[in-house]
Amino acid sequence: MNIGNRENISTINEYETQLSGLYEEYYDKIARYVYVHIGNKEEAEDIAGEVFLKALKSLKSYREQGVPMQGWLFRIAHNLTVDYLRKMDKRRTVPIDSVALLGNDNPADTAEKNIEFERVVEAMNQLTTEQREVINLRFFGELTSKEVSSILGKRDGAVREMQRAAIEKLRAIMGVER
Amino acid sequence: MTEDFDRILDECIDRINRGDNLADCLSDYPAYSEKLRSLLQSMHDVQKTYIFTPSADSKRAARQKLHAALGKRRQVTPVLSFFKVISRPAVWATVAVLVLAIVGTLVIRPLFNPQTLISSPDGNFAFLISDEPNDIGDFESLNVTISRVELQAAGSVKRLEFTPKTKTVDLTQLQGEQSQEIWRGNVPAGQYSQVCIYVGEVKGKLESTGQTVDVKLPSNRLRISMPFEVTADAVTSFTFDITVVATGNNGKYILKPQIGESGARQEQKPLE
Repeated sequence: MNIGNRENISTINEYETQLSGLYEEYYDKIARYVYVHIGNKEEAEDIAGEVFLKALKSLKSYREQGVPMQGWLFRIAHNLTVDYLRKMDKRRTVPIDSVALLGNDNPADTAEKNIEFERVVEAMNQLTTEQREVINLRFFGELTSKEVSSILGKRDGAVREMQRAAIEKLRAIMGVER
Repeated sequence: MTEDFDRILDECIDRINRGDNLADCLSDYPAYSEKLRSLLQSMHDVQKTYIFTPSADSKRAARQKLHAALGKRRQVTPVLSFFKVISRPAVWATVAVLVLAIVGTLVIRPLFNPQTLISSPDGNFAFLISDEPNDIGDFESLNVTISRVELQAAGSVKRLEFTPKTKTVDLTQLQGEQSQEIWRGNVPAGQYSQVCIYVGEVKGKLESTGQTVDVKLPSNRLRISMPFEVTADAVTSFTFDITVVATGNNGKYILKPQIGESGARQEQKPLE
């Protein structure tokens, strides 16, 4: 084995260690991120698991990405989500009927939650694709704006601006002063 | 001006994602308090709508698959190496197998299993629970059962865990300066970056009606990201502050970590 190969394997081993270290913290976040897109909890869990397996298989290509590994995982999650939606030919947001899973309250509470849910989904649908992605990565992926900027290939400042504009839009549509 | 506000909003979102509370963010930026409040409330509404905690079974199954795939990758290397170096002396093959066995035992397994710490009455680390009074006054008792506590070493994937000696604490008895030690033992000296407590059950009894209520904890864990140091020659006492807050006028409550009231302090160990 030549020195180049040895270094190669050593780097890959480091990435494997890093990837498995991220599992505990990021599995839930990735599942939530996917859930917001596809609206199916079980499928979101499966895709989150698949993200880590796919990342493991593709570790060699990670070096060229130039983003933190957690950001790279969300890129994979995004691609798998797009593939899933393409296959399922579904809408991008959570179907309204899934709100029944949010709680086991009485019918009045459930009805109220349905209204609340529709309001938020409607507001999210009115964001631009990029704004929605920023919100999803920040609120559900819990990534920093710097990490989001590396995923989206934008400046930190641009992401912060997009984030503020998106939340203002959500606020205006949802009418927080209700 | 707008850029400043964008930065402040961004920082508050980071803090809330880390477990800090809204009030602390607002009090740090009084000039922007109203605007921040309405935007962060929208953030809360969106997060609440899509709230979802993956099941423990799914997470475990996915972890096992990853673990298996990782193990398989590590096993592929010696086979390939063997064929590549088949013409070399057998000793090299033996060394490769030994290295893999060591890597498998020392690297892969610990990655998935946090190191378990042993309790000891004269250990160098004490873990305490306290309660910052918010809506605790609504409760006659509020029993929180903690199944385990995990410490994250700084700048590494190393995690350590311990099972509290005292598993259930009543937060109504731990208000303000009050605290209760739930574990003491030996923790390796070093820098740590995060403490996470895993909560099994939360049962509250309301002062006003005597009714028992379930207090929500979205992910069954409370996490505080905060750097602290543990040394061998001093006792580090880490106080994890938990607070209970009403979620509105709907009679529901949630538990939150109170980062501002949590932290570590050190005292020299008594001479033996």
